Amino acid sequence: MSATSLSVFDVTAADRSRRIPSPVLEFDRVTKRYGRTTVVDDLSFTVQPGRVTGFLGPNGSGKSTTIKILLGLAGADKGRATIGGRYYQEFKDPTGTVGVILEPNAFHPGRSGRNHLRIVADAAGIAPSRVDDMLDDVGLSGSAADRRVGAYSLGMRQRLSLAAALLGDPPVLVLDEPANGLDPQGIHTLRDLLRARAAGGDTVLVSSHILAEMELLADDLVVIDKGRLIASGPMAELQQVANVVRTPDPATLQRALESSGGMVQRADDETLIVRGLSLDDIGDQAFDHQVRVHELSPKVGSLEELFLSWTAGSPSNEEGYEKAKVLS
Amino acid sequence: MTWSRLIRSELRKLTTTAMPLAFLAVLALLAVVNGIAVAFGTDMDGSKTFISTAEDQQSLMAFAANAFMGAGLFGAVAAAREYGHHTVVPTYLAVPRRHRAVLAQYAAVAVGGAVLSVIGAALTMGAVAAALPSTEYGFLVSSGGVVRVLAAATFAGACGAVFGAGIGGLIRNTGGALATAVLILIVAPPLLVQLATDTASWIPSTLANVVSGVATDTGTFAAIAVLVAWAAVPAAIGLLAVERRDVV
Repeated sequence: MSATSLSVFDVTAADRSRRIPSPVLEFDRVTKRYGRTTVVDDLSFTVQPGRVTGFLGPNGSGKSTTIKILLGLAGADKGRATIGGRYYQEFKDPTGTVGVILEPNAFHPGRSGRNHLRIVADAAGIAPSRVDDMLDDVGLSGSAADRRVGAYSLGMRQRLSLAAALLGDPPVLVLDEPANGLDPQGIHTLRDLLRARAAGGDTVLVSSHILAEMELLADDLVVIDKGRLIASGPMAELQQVANVVRTPDPATLQRALESSGGMVQRADDETLIVRGLSLDDIGDQAFDHQVRVHELSPKVGSLEELFLSWTAGSPSNEEGYEKAKVLS
Repeated sequence: MTWSRLIRSELRKLTTTAMPLAFLAVLALLAVVNGIAVAFGTDMDGSKTFISTAEDQQSLMAFAANAFMGAGLFGAVAAAREYGHHTVVPTYLAVPRRHRAVLAQYAAVAVGGAVLSVIGAALTMGAVAAALPSTEYGFLVSSGGVVRVLAAATFAGACGAVFGAGIGGLIRNTGGALATAVLILIVAPPLLVQLATDTASWIPSTLANVVSGVATDTGTFAAIAVLVAWAAVPAAIGLLAVERRDVV
């Protein structure tokens, strides 16, 4: 993806305002079983328009199945997964409503990238000229477009997937591992694209294993493990795992905070890490006990640290479990 | 409009890979084999009575039985490879009411099977016609006979392709779909006929020969109807399976 392509991808608020508001994605007590195995377990969350929502979970946690249920590719045993209150199958123009990257290699290796997009465009009733536009936008124009997909690199395939997802200029994007195989420039462009789409009011759900990338990209997070919801909410809130207090009298303040229900850990001679109490509560306690405070601030954890602690003990994340034990 | 664009999409799938060329190569090879058989082959007694009458030559050129079988394999590969390459995913995302996509696929493979089959029949006829001057016999088949052979191959090819696509959608694995099609079309019929002789009249190769005008086991319209049923039953089962199953 070239840097110049961004101007074509960029979606301004004015562009979006001409369209109907982007829909909310709603997962309401969705349950899916394969045989005796429950893959998605009573999962409820929403994905709001105007924000990029990161969808995280270890391998086998049920992310792809959840997305497939939303897109009508798999049926839920219980619950509903809807887009603006409607099932995916009910949309007359699904490609113009939801852009999807799902399977990393959903291409015939003997078919050219251009023909792959033409097939999707034909099925979706999209003008053929849009195919060439999208190929240009993702940097696959010219001879690359007419080469067999089997000869593409992973990054080129991912660009082709992105072109297919954007073919209908949809207000909703559901992307499973979209950055997989992209070079740093491509990842940067993708991030700008998704942020621009969200800023323009689009609904963007992105699953990724690249936690550092997600940290830069997502406004909201949904974390699942073993098909169950582990955490959800704005990234900034979720990252605020504790508060830091620096005081010349840590012993007095520690006793006061613990008596108020806080969990307090002494970091060094002057610093306390406090969990379970808000910044206001800590400030009030310090004031009540006449303890001087030199610093009172939220402690922001890295997404990787949080993810490992959320998913510790998952069979697919034994390494993470060990790391989480160390971190805790 | 919706149907035309869906069928166009499915036809584009068929025409944008090397698969049709591979089938065309096989058809050309079959035609060459037929030509060689006419030029150099003889009956047990050393004569060439197998091409001595118009009926014999029409029987030799009747391609419909091969068409049903070959197009069956073509349809099976066309449908099953969609699952192998996961290209059903973008299709069902664009067309979430899957029965539409499947019916469009059936229509496209029917066209593909028909076109390949009529080409196969024409190549065979051409090879036979080209080889006949090297023998003492001329081209004896009437123009009506030629038209019937071509029409029968076209029809049988369309039916066979839909039959195969039904199997492909049901099995979802290219090797498995091919094996199942071969089992049903090649392995099972002789066994079935040994168990119940009367069934010989209703297997696809016999029916195709009836439609081609080179066999009289059943009436032509009955043969047409039963060939359609041979295509429709697996197609319907495949359609139901695709509608009900998750895309994994």
